[in-house]
Amino acid sequence: MTYTSKNRWADYWVLALSVFLVFCLVFEPYIELPSLVSWLGRWHPLVLHFPIVLLLMAIFLGLTGKKVPNLLLTVGVLSALVTAVSGFFLGKETPVKGELLFWHQWLGAGVALFAALWYALSQVQLDQKIYTKGIQVIMIGLVALAGHYGGMVTHGEDFLALPMEKQQEKIPENPIIYKDIVSRILDDKCVSCHNPNKQKGELLMTNLAELFKGGKSGNTLVPGEPEQSELIRRLHLPMEDEERMPPEGKTPLNDNEIAILERWIALGASGSQRLDELDKNESLVALVKEMMVPDPVEKWSKLPTVADSTLKNLSSDYLTIERLASNSDALSVDIYLAPEYDPKPIMNLKRVAKNIIELDLSGLPIGQDEMTLVFACHNLEWLELDKTPLTDREIENLINLKNLSFLKIYETPITDLSISTFKDLPNLKSLYLWGTDISDRALAGLRKSNPGLLINNGINGDTKAFFLATDSIK
Amino acid sequence: MEEDKNNNENPLKANRRHFFSQLSVGIGSLALGSLLIPDLFKGGAEKLMNQPLGIAHFAPKAKRIIYLFQAGGPSQLESFDYKPTLQKRMGEDLPESIRAGQRLTGMTSGQDSFPLMPSAVKFRQHGESQTWISDYFPHIAKIADEITVVRSMQTEAINHDPAITFFQTGSQISGRPSMGSWLSYGLGSENKNLPSFVVLTSRGKGNSQGLYSKLWSSGFLDSKHQGVLLRSGKDPVLYLNDPDGISRSDKRHLLDHVSSLNKLHHLETGDDEIESRIAQYEMAYRMQMSVPDVMDISKEPESIIKLYGEDCQVPGTYAANALQARRLAENGVRFIQLYHQGWDQHGNLPNEMAGQAKDVDKASAALVMDLKQRGMLEDTLVVWGGEFGRTNYCQGKFDPTNYGRDHHPRAFSVWMAGGGIKPGLNYGKTDEFGYNVIENPVHINDFHATLMHAMGLDHEQLTYKHQGRRFRLTDVAGHVVKDLLI
Repeated sequence: MTYTSKNRWADYWVLALSVFLVFCLVFEPYIELPSLVSWLGRWHPLVLHFPIVLLLMAIFLGLTGKKVPNLLLTVGVLSALVTAVSGFFLGKETPVKGELLFWHQWLGAGVALFAALWYALSQVQLDQKIYTKGIQVIMIGLVALAGHYGGMVTHGEDFLALPMEKQQEKIPENPIIYKDIVSRILDDKCVSCHNPNKQKGELLMTNLAELFKGGKSGNTLVPGEPEQSELIRRLHLPMEDEERMPPEGKTPLNDNEIAILERWIALGASGSQRLDELDKNESLVALVKEMMVPDPVEKWSKLPTVADSTLKNLSSDYLTIERLASNSDALSVDIYLAPEYDPKPIMNLKRVAKNIIELDLSGLPIGQDEMTLVFACHNLEWLELDKTPLTDREIENLINLKNLSFLKIYETPITDLSISTFKDLPNLKSLYLWGTDISDRALAGLRKSNPGLLINNGINGDTKAFFLATDSIK
Repeated sequence: MEEDKNNNENPLKANRRHFFSQLSVGIGSLALGSLLIPDLFKGGAEKLMNQPLGIAHFAPKAKRIIYLFQAGGPSQLESFDYKPTLQKRMGEDLPESIRAGQRLTGMTSGQDSFPLMPSAVKFRQHGESQTWISDYFPHIAKIADEITVVRSMQTEAINHDPAITFFQTGSQISGRPSMGSWLSYGLGSENKNLPSFVVLTSRGKGNSQGLYSKLWSSGFLDSKHQGVLLRSGKDPVLYLNDPDGISRSDKRHLLDHVSSLNKLHHLETGDDEIESRIAQYEMAYRMQMSVPDVMDISKEPESIIKLYGEDCQVPGTYAANALQARRLAENGVRFIQLYHQGWDQHGNLPNEMAGQAKDVDKASAALVMDLKQRGMLEDTLVVWGGEFGRTNYCQGKFDPTNYGRDHHPRAFSVWMAGGGIKPGLNYGKTDEFGYNVIENPVHINDFHATLMHAMGLDHEQLTYKHQGRRFRLTDVAGHVVKDLLI
């Protein structure tokens, strides 16, 4: 065993970085990073590719009995250590480390430290011995697993899962609270551990009788008393608590779901009660209704992606274009009358037409040309065309907008001819059309054929008369 | 030495040399050093945001808010909270079990007794919602099914200034950003030619308390988010018009040159307020065109003028401001704050309150109906209410036709309409004395959280780091009142 250093500096760096890495890992809870160091962590996704390739190359040479070039090993080890340290910095940015990140961190650190060990052995010329081979084999596993967990951290846990259609049954119009609401929540969030195959804590959550029976801790569900129910108590425990449910790493229930369980238990945990049997002011009604209305953002998740830079290019002083929500490609566009009207900014919207969900063209002198843009917005749900000079002919093609639910077209010169257009809009829910040339008879016909449609023909006559005739108290 | 000073004053201004001289210390010592002083390399104005700014966090129900603030504390007992018990027990002393140690203002704490005083005005139930509304508000009564009355509002302050500051900024101590500024900060502007937060004030004949511009200040947020007060009369915004003899193109040239100088200065110092200033000059330039246009009500048809009341043609009245509010909302202003002063009835309540109600009743109801017929109630939230309620006992001489009421923080009423709020709901209850909330209390923090939720913002996510900690409108409290939402 002889120590003949070819490159003293490389040895020092490997030693220093290894010591620093171990220090970081051991004292992790006490470390708080300044922003500049956090920024260094952002390089982790870039540098991590070097050790993977270099170390696997070195291992391949080592396992096939060839000589591992010292330079290859040195650079591989140093890049592994830098990657691990930068990864540690990056990991500090997440407030609470999940299971995936936890494993990724320790496996990654393992790769770096085993590599350092291998380097140390090679410097004392023990690199052809059997334990070096052992280290190399272990490292293949570590590199693969660390990479896999890292991939899941960035791309999501089911990134490599086989494609599977997840189908959620629609909640019926007047749901049975237990069967359609409560047990759906439990199925989603609890049953994966509390089913006949697993039965953690001796608790089954697959049916109401088992819930009443409870598990090892007892009192799982005390009808009328959510505070006494173990189920609710454990939902409210802090994340770190051993007894918290669902445990760390599993998807927690959201506030709405917890509130539903609480109110349902407070009302006696009935197995048969339906939504319409509840009092109108009971808060469970609002909670259940919220669950029944699908999040619109999900509905818009299939829209094509638009870049922020595109939105910036399209907007101007008189055209505001914004995302409807921060994680969505659904767009809302408002256009205001510029001192000199120019249709070009409107026509430019064609490239994002499919993404436009809300469009406000109120008060603009638009005509047939601009309407071709409107008709291209196939996913449009909300359209404001009031105070425009549009005629019946120019709005005919609105019938192609199958998702349109809200239409403002008051104070326009449209006539009875447009009634048939409105009749054929399958999803139309609100229509504002006072101040047009539409006759009362035509309106009555529309009311009859589309009973679910809310038609606003100006302020109700009696109310209006009251306002025009009276002043406030004398 | 010179360089150090410069660096300390302008932490954002780091050139290549600074960067490398700091880096040359070595990453290891940098990391170790930072363990001892975590803030070593932190800039002053660092913002740590989980959510991008200028976009709603989730799909919003409301895109704008019109807040009809009734400054002074309108009495809930003569408006929306009907208490027949006060009639039955008129003149009896407020039971100690009900008052339960509530502190009083210096104006009534010296009183020998606290005789219960019933409402001088009749109450009736209106609409399908059977909402109790007093006869002072006949027009609001007509829209009973459009509005939701919350009778269980609660505040912590008992005097005007802290109470109104609390309502506007989420803190009783001034200095925090106003509600409108937070929304402007979180959601950005809908129309780049108008400010996203506009304030209009009016004054009734009743006993008034002061309004200060701190109520619409942006606090520590960027100054572009502060409320812009639009004045009545010839110059809605002071100093907006060009002097005689300056053409619009001259102004453009001037602004372009000033802006390039300002940009140079920004490169040197990195001060973000300079960029705000550039943006404000540009905004003012566009407002020279847009503001006169929005403020000009001459094109409003006769029927609309009559709907709001003839008063709306008199600049500076509440009715004129209400009509203006609709026009601003149509033009994409996010937060329109009206204040109507004169609701502080320590004495002569029936008389003064009738006058105050007359100022606001018709125009408030007309605004809701006008928004409704324009389809704007579907994405505009209207709120009506003051900073606190009034006591159920009489202040001053006991006379059922001419009495006063002191400030009362424990229970008061506001109403809301549109913007994702359920219509025709009666929410929250007070005890038979109208003194304590006995069902569904809504604290001001909860109220703020609910308004923000309607606008698509999570009140816990919208934060701004200042003086070493993150601030929110709701500070460390607040729950969204889901029962109020559609």
